[in-house]
Amino acid sequence: MYSLLLLNGGIGARVAAGRPKQLIKVRGLPILVYSLIAADDVAEIDQIVLNYPDGWRDAVEQVVADYAIRTPVTYVPAGETRHESVAKMLSSTTNDHVVIHESARPLVGAEDFAKLLAATGDNVSLMLEIPFTVAPVDPATRTVTGYLERSTLRNVQLPQKFAKADLEDAHRRAAADGLTFTEDATLVATSGHEVRFIDGSDRNIKVTTPTDVLLATFLLGGRPEEAWNA
Amino acid sequence: MPDATPAPSRTLLVTGASRGIGLETARRFLQNDPALTKVFTLARPSHDFDDAVAGLRALARPGVEVVRYDVDLGDRAAVIDVVDRVAAEHGNVDLLVNNAGYTKPVPLQQVDFADFERTIAVNLYAPFTFVQELLRRGNRFELIVNIASTAGINGRSGWLTYSASKAAVINMSEVMRSELAIYGTRVACISPGRTATALRRVLAPDEDPATIMQPQDVAEVIEMLASPVGRFVDSANLVVRQ
Repeated sequence: MYSLLLLNGGIGARVAAGRPKQLIKVRGLPILVYSLIAADDVAEIDQIVLNYPDGWRDAVEQVVADYAIRTPVTYVPAGETRHESVAKMLSSTTNDHVVIHESARPLVGAEDFAKLLAATGDNVSLMLEIPFTVAPVDPATRTVTGYLERSTLRNVQLPQKFAKADLEDAHRRAAADGLTFTEDATLVATSGHEVRFIDGSDRNIKVTTPTDVLLATFLLGGRPEEAWNA
Repeated sequence: MPDATPAPSRTLLVTGASRGIGLETARRFLQNDPALTKVFTLARPSHDFDDAVAGLRALARPGVEVVRYDVDLGDRAAVIDVVDRVAAEHGNVDLLVNNAGYTKPVPLQQVDFADFERTIAVNLYAPFTFVQELLRRGNRFELIVNIASTAGINGRSGWLTYSASKAAVINMSEVMRSELAIYGTRVACISPGRTATALRRVLAPDEDPATIMQPQDVAEVIEMLASPVGRFVDSANLVVRQ
């Protein structure tokens, strides 16, 4: 069985003033609801560890109650960084295997979780080919410093799954070395554990801007006028 | 969005099951749906309801349960009590047909406000309450059918309270369809035209019932919506009339 770490604590970029991005709405529903209901329909997930930004626990708990989420939910305060949040949530898990997802990706359904859990390997991430050219640069001097072969690069998506022991080991090593990662597939891989990937989807967008809300609304079958955030 | 696959076994809750479209709906599903295991019939206590339940039980295959709940849908606390009992005693409601309707047609100047409130309570608040309260208990619907009326599309002189309530049902169904898609639940709204029901006799007492659409016809449309082909009927408001 798996514990789902559902990242929900980001208060950085906001699409609506005065509210953290996980409480924005897509098609009139709190964006968090999409991930909760998808995960709730996955039999192999028997624990959801959900984090919340400071001051938002009651609102997040209310969403879980209103949508009658059947999977037991454990609430954990958000860390200062995403990296720290995962480490804190990991210590609250009850299973030897975990899935990491974020509420800002509402297009992920139960079938996507099922595909990930069925994939070969303990440590697996959804990843997407990069359909455009990227270049390494030195921002300070505004110069291009070389070339990157895009066929060997991937856009890292969520969800991901990990053996809890591997993820704990990777976080322990990063803490010892004073390193902070922005996601966990590269963290675990650079710690020496094998991390595989399966192909993600370009529908699996991360909603961080008002344009993303419009796009997610469209992809979820809604009308543009439903992309409001009142 | 996922589509809820028809379950190998499923249950049906019908309001206003003592006669008319509600009774015919229960009857058709009992006769034709091999997956049906339970029918929850709701109506106010009456001889009609006694006869209806007896007839449905006689029709049911062995192992298929016809459960009766006496309830006035104008009483919200009683509606919630029935939801509690259904959830505790029987589990999930897969198919919900919000059929019960109430009307006392009078011109605007003669509308008694308490009666207007009762019309809205039975026709609008009760369907809403069934859906909300069942969802809050973790219910996952396969299909919800809300019965509105062509009177909800165009207001009818003398039918202010009824027309207004059914217009609200049509709009509420559209919102439900959008919001509940996340569960794979389908929500259909049917607006029957003139149908030979007891309620129609209140609205048009001089009409010959034999000359208009019968409750069985509407029940057949509901049955179609719950069948595999029903998922292809995606209409904000399905008008059924002669």
